[in-house]
Amino acid sequence: MDLFDTTQIGLERALSGSALRQQAIAQNIANVNTPGYRRQDVDFQSALHAAWDEGESSVQRVAPGVQVDQSSVMRADGSSVDIDNEAATQAENGLQYEAISSVMKTRVAILRSAIGGV
Amino acid sequence: MGLFDAIDASGSGLSAERMRMDVTSENLANAQTTKGADGQPYRRKDVVFQEAGAPGTSFSSVLSSIQGGRSGGAGVTHGVKVAGIVEDQTALKRIYDPGHPDADANGYVTMPNVNTVTEMTDLISSSRAYEANVTAMQTAKTMFTKTLDLLR
Repeated sequence: MDLFDTTQIGLERALSGSALRQQAIAQNIANVNTPGYRRQDVDFQSALHAAWDEGESSVQRVAPGVQVDQSSVMRADGSSVDIDNEAATQAENGLQYEAISSVMKTRVAILRSAIGGV
Repeated sequence: MGLFDAIDASGSGLSAERMRMDVTSENLANAQTTKGADGQPYRRKDVVFQEAGAPGTSFSSVLSSIQGGRSGGAGVTHGVKVAGIVEDQTALKRIYDPGHPDADANGYVTMPNVNTVTEMTDLISSSRAYEANVTAMQTAKTMFTKTLDLLR
């Protein structure tokens, strides 16, 4: 058995996907006043979910990308950024990141105690 | 590199919004200026924002391109930039004030096309956008601290 199993690798990929999502949200917020800007988002959950059924090697290779949201634009200047929506997504993503990293931390602690470290 | 890029994007947002605030303040300060450096009445200025293009030559962006974007840096562009400051070409106001030193033969003075209400709204808008960028930066920072906690 490997030291790090599929779950641990999956968690690492999820953490990296969540970080990328934060990057996309920061980009959206920075461009809140840019005319014609289309918002971006990252859907790492579904990519990870699809890879999970295929086994460890697929999970390791999951690389979620940034998608440009092509849904309809509500604003007169052609920008599709809704600042309230971005703030909510950001809060959600931050909590998700925190949850993933706590799970990772606990798993590392279990591993550490099994090794006999302190 | 994941989160640092998020902080960079928010940083560019902060400087862009600050630039907009500076220009709005200049418009407000010159709301009554009938003679600029070129002898003409002041024209209100506007900031044009543009999505920043390809990543630059910073250490982190070069590193992530060498790594083949494995850290997932591909696709996200890098914040916002000020494409330029343009003068508003709407008509200047003309008011009747024969006593004014810049009045023409008919007693009319050409005043700047600055609308104080528009400027105040712009000021509030950029101040709120600035706050939103600060929050985004703080979230990225909290997330990064959480990752560092994994090592403790």
